[in-house]
Amino acid sequence: MLRPVVLRVLSLVVVLWGTVTLAFLAIHAIPGDPVQLLIGPRDIGPEARARIVAEWGLDRPLPVQYLDYLWGLLQGDLGYSYVRKRPVADIIAAQLWPTVELALAGLLVAVGAALLSAVPTAGRRRAGSVARTAELVIVSTPEFWLGLVLLFVFSFTLSWFPVAGADGFRALVLPALALGLGTAAMLAQLLREGMADALDEPFVLTARARGIGDGRLRVRHVLRNAAVAPVAMAGFAFGNLLGGAVIVEQVFGRPGVGRIALQAIEARDVPTLLGIALLAAFAFVVVTTVVELTTLLIDPRLRARAVS
Amino acid sequence: MINRRSARRRLPFAALALSAAAMLSLSACTGTSEPDANGGGSISWAIDVVPETLNPQINGQTRARPIFRNVYETLLVQNDAGEFVGALASDYEISEDGTVYTFTIRDGVTFSNGEALDAAAVALNFEKINDPTYDEEAAGSGPLARLVSVEAVDEQTVVLTLDRAYAPFLDYAAAVFIIAPASYDVPDVQAGGAEVYGTGPFVIDSVIEGQEVTLVKREDYDWAPETAAHTGPAHLDEVTFHYLTESSVRLGALTSGQVDVITGVNAGDVGAIEGDDGLVYTSASNAGAPWSLYLNSTAGPGQDPRVREAFVLSADIDSIVDSVYQGKRTRAWSAISVASGSGYNEALEGAYGPDFDRAAELLDDAGWTGRDAEGFRVNTAGERLTFTLYRTGAFTADDRDVFLQALQAQLRQNSGIELDIQSVDGGVWYEHFLAGDAGASDLVTGGSTGLILEYVWAPKAEGGVINLSNAEDPQLAEWIGEASGSSDLAVQDAAYRALQAFVVLEGHYILPLVEAQQELAYRVGVEGLGFLPVSGDPGWAYDAWLEN
Repeated sequence: MLRPVVLRVLSLVVVLWGTVTLAFLAIHAIPGDPVQLLIGPRDIGPEARARIVAEWGLDRPLPVQYLDYLWGLLQGDLGYSYVRKRPVADIIAAQLWPTVELALAGLLVAVGAALLSAVPTAGRRRAGSVARTAELVIVSTPEFWLGLVLLFVFSFTLSWFPVAGADGFRALVLPALALGLGTAAMLAQLLREGMADALDEPFVLTARARGIGDGRLRVRHVLRNAAVAPVAMAGFAFGNLLGGAVIVEQVFGRPGVGRIALQAIEARDVPTLLGIALLAAFAFVVVTTVVELTTLLIDPRLRARAVS
Repeated sequence: MINRRSARRRLPFAALALSAAAMLSLSACTGTSEPDANGGGSISWAIDVVPETLNPQINGQTRARPIFRNVYETLLVQNDAGEFVGALASDYEISEDGTVYTFTIRDGVTFSNGEALDAAAVALNFEKINDPTYDEEAAGSGPLARLVSVEAVDEQTVVLTLDRAYAPFLDYAAAVFIIAPASYDVPDVQAGGAEVYGTGPFVIDSVIEGQEVTLVKREDYDWAPETAAHTGPAHLDEVTFHYLTESSVRLGALTSGQVDVITGVNAGDVGAIEGDDGLVYTSASNAGAPWSLYLNSTAGPGQDPRVREAFVLSADIDSIVDSVYQGKRTRAWSAISVASGSGYNEALEGAYGPDFDRAAELLDDAGWTGRDAEGFRVNTAGERLTFTLYRTGAFTADDRDVFLQALQAQLRQNSGIELDIQSVDGGVWYEHFLAGDAGASDLVTGGSTGLILEYVWAPKAEGGVINLSNAEDPQLAEWIGEASGSSDLAVQDAAYRALQAFVVLEGHYILPLVEAQQELAYRVGVEGLGFLPVSGDPGWAYDAWLEN
């Protein structure tokens, strides 16, 4: 059990190092003036230019700059945004929680709705096809549009939830739905298919012969059997949620890293963009690693394979 | 916090009550209804941008200004006639030769951190904004390039000296938001916030980054400029600005009563607001350059003046304004906005228009005689007559994308000119701007006549920081120099008018499209909101109050 864990943590470190190196190359290897790249589309005087060269050590040899960059990152230094006039780490830190909160709530919606939709309908032709159709509609609906529809119905017309902001549970409901439903639909399809297959397995017949109730059978035995594929997909789903957060934050006027990313793209605020890219890569790699380790826990068959 | 009102059905009596309130608001305009002396209450206000920074001296986003207008003040303000009158400065004087600006600072004004406003504080502000370690972009450029010394000669007198006479400096200096000296010691002063103190009628109470700013009134505020409708502290206790960048979401928040005021209303949404008895819509044209197309005279087909003229003659702007905006926007005619007041050349209104036959003659003369399979004109080398237009920012803001598509269709149909519209990010746009290789560029910008005409029409090396047409006629720089070097308003006006007539009617460097404007919509019951003269800023909440 220990060896696969060590291997995966090692690969995590290698992937992160690769990402950081790419970020460094993005600043230094792209043709053109690195100072102009860092400050974005604006004109500055020679004194300010000299200050930026000094701040980033652009006048030193590349290997030294590279090591400095790595050392800075290890200390949490992500550089300075010349658009927002603040250290990038501060900008991200101030906006991180609303996004984490939104992503977690979105994940909860995704998993909860997927279970609700898949568990009772798996292996049932009529109910299954109704649920599948509904899921297909939701999967094909862009988050942007889904968010507007939710807002129009539940905020503007019914006034159940506020339109904007990140204060409190009520403000989280609609954005979490807009963000999570698409992923939920995707997970539900996988789960239903897996459960339908598992329902045909001999162990189901054995369990039924022992007189187990249908609900208990589905939740205790079949679900666990079919859970590996969706859990393995969770890394992908997480990426989906991160990408969706950009849109959802924009529509709902929520603060967050996604909104910052969008503004950084518009203003070509490269230091902020790189900081967010590193953060996203880090989060993605960590989540995928955790997911891989979790699947080992869920499925003893994989464990055996990983050891051998 | 956004107001959350319970859902209510619009019953007949509710509609009656609302129209009664509407009548009350009408009577307020005629002065028979006065704000309650006790005032109070709070409003929530949705603006259409997220401020990049909350430092009023560094932030350049026009649409974030409603926040700053209430917290920070300027040396002078403009009255309805466009004249400068005292605000933080009680008086000002410009020397005969136009190089020495003397401001007398008003007595008894304090910043919200308790510091007194004196000449030294104002002098420090001007030194800082011209210091590249504080503002790497603005320092030493534009009007600040002219500033050679800043001196507080006594408690109440600040003297700014320029290297040469430069009349637009007054517009610039008068509009600098003054912040408390102690603010400059805050480590993140450039990012702004509650520790950057001002003298305004409100102070920043709390900031939720990326979401909202809450202002509370200053009880000891007692130095409102004469342009304000009252004196003493503000009527409202609290104003919260939310950042809602999606126009449909902003409108929904207003119609559902979750916010009281919004700025930035798409032309297509105006009908919905006007049709609602519980809402009020107003708009005002603002000074600056209207939304226009600039035709590049040094790259692309616009190098040939005949082609630029044909481009202008092929466009029927009136019909597009009518069909896209249905009377909710005003067509522009000149290189500066009609609201600019001084120097606006009204003779250009109606002085030119579409003439497709003449356009065809010009294009034939210029060698664009052939047609390709898609109906576009080509020259003998087989190249298509294409103006490439790069657009950045809010591509769909105010239906401008629809407008340009209509123009694209007209140019193609009327004269076989291709307008190739490309949406790009700010960085790509800037690269094309630096390279000067776009066939046409669109721009709308606010500012005073002198500054804007210099930024847009002076040579790039001489202050033309947003010169998009690359017009090189020597008389342009002459007119700009003549106007900025003279303190005589009549001389300035004559030069500015001549410049506008030249770039529009003779050079064909610009095709003005739509007047720049700001929009304001609010629920009935909010009173005393309006636009500041000239700048057209809708932000002044000081005179606003709530009808009970």
